[in-house]
Amino acid sequence: MLPFILYFITAVLTGFHLYALLSFTLYGAPFNLLELVAMFGSFCLLIAAYVSLFKPDAAGRLALIACLAMWCFYGPAIAKIVRTRLGKPAAVSEFCRPSLAPKSA
Amino acid sequence: MILPYLAAVLLALATAYSAVVSFRQKPEEGSAKASWIFPEGAKRPTRIFISIATLLLLVALGAWFSINARNSTPRSMRFLIPEGYSGWVRIEFEVPGAPALPEEAGQPLLRIPPSGTLRTSSPEQYGWVNNSYGFYSSAGVRPIPDSGPGKLIWGKINGEASGASGKRKYEEFFVGTQQQFKGQIEGAKPKD
Repeated sequence: MLPFILYFITAVLTGFHLYALLSFTLYGAPFNLLELVAMFGSFCLLIAAYVSLFKPDAAGRLALIACLAMWCFYGPAIAKIVRTRLGKPAAVSEFCRPSLAPKSA
Repeated sequence: MILPYLAAVLLALATAYSAVVSFRQKPEEGSAKASWIFPEGAKRPTRIFISIATLLLLVALGAWFSINARNSTPRSMRFLIPEGYSGWVRIEFEVPGAPALPEEAGQPLLRIPPSGTLRTSSPEQYGWVNNSYGFYSSAGVRPIPDSGPGKLIWGKINGEASGASGKRKYEEFFVGTQQQFKGQIEGAKPKD
């Protein structure tokens, strides 16, 4: 029962998240192919959940492939979030203190 | 906004578990009992229970979608724009005190004044709609093409703006030729 619950909940949650992201394309957001690949992975994970009731080992292999497909999207997305949070914001402008010392001839 | 983080955490768990299941050394036949972490398939009553639960879930989802679709079918709107008008048209919805939209043949009718801005107390329509557009004058109404080579409707957007009178939903679009629309967009861009 554990593999079924784990695969099923993961597939439903990631599927819903990716569906929400893909639906933004209707409102003009650029289409990302990785989201579609990850969505397919999510569907495969749902199938793996049901296969796990009969053949847990085969389901494990299928689930692993599905998860790797989903990491195609989640991996770069997490990397981007981490880089954005940790990175220093670039200076937009720089203040230059004017020199008061007379220029030597 | 917890959903993406939860999804990523669960995905990490599922990946780790499926990797262990795929690459672990299987115990010899009869040497060890299957544990709850690595079960050898579900028992018959569990399978029956999951099958029935899945079936019920699918039926409930189907019923919910069909009821929702029936109750929230959006009605297409008919926009009437003054003859010769060119520029942005703005419609502000749910404005207190403004008149409600009249209906013509079951369709909400939006008669845009020469100023190009219409305020109404009626709510905005969401979803897949097939709006129609027309120029009105004393001679009557003639349709405006909103697709194809002679298209005169561009840049349809809708949104929500906050102001002193609270949040206000609006819809905007441009009336004119493609050249006029492009010129208008380029003219609005900040220059370096």
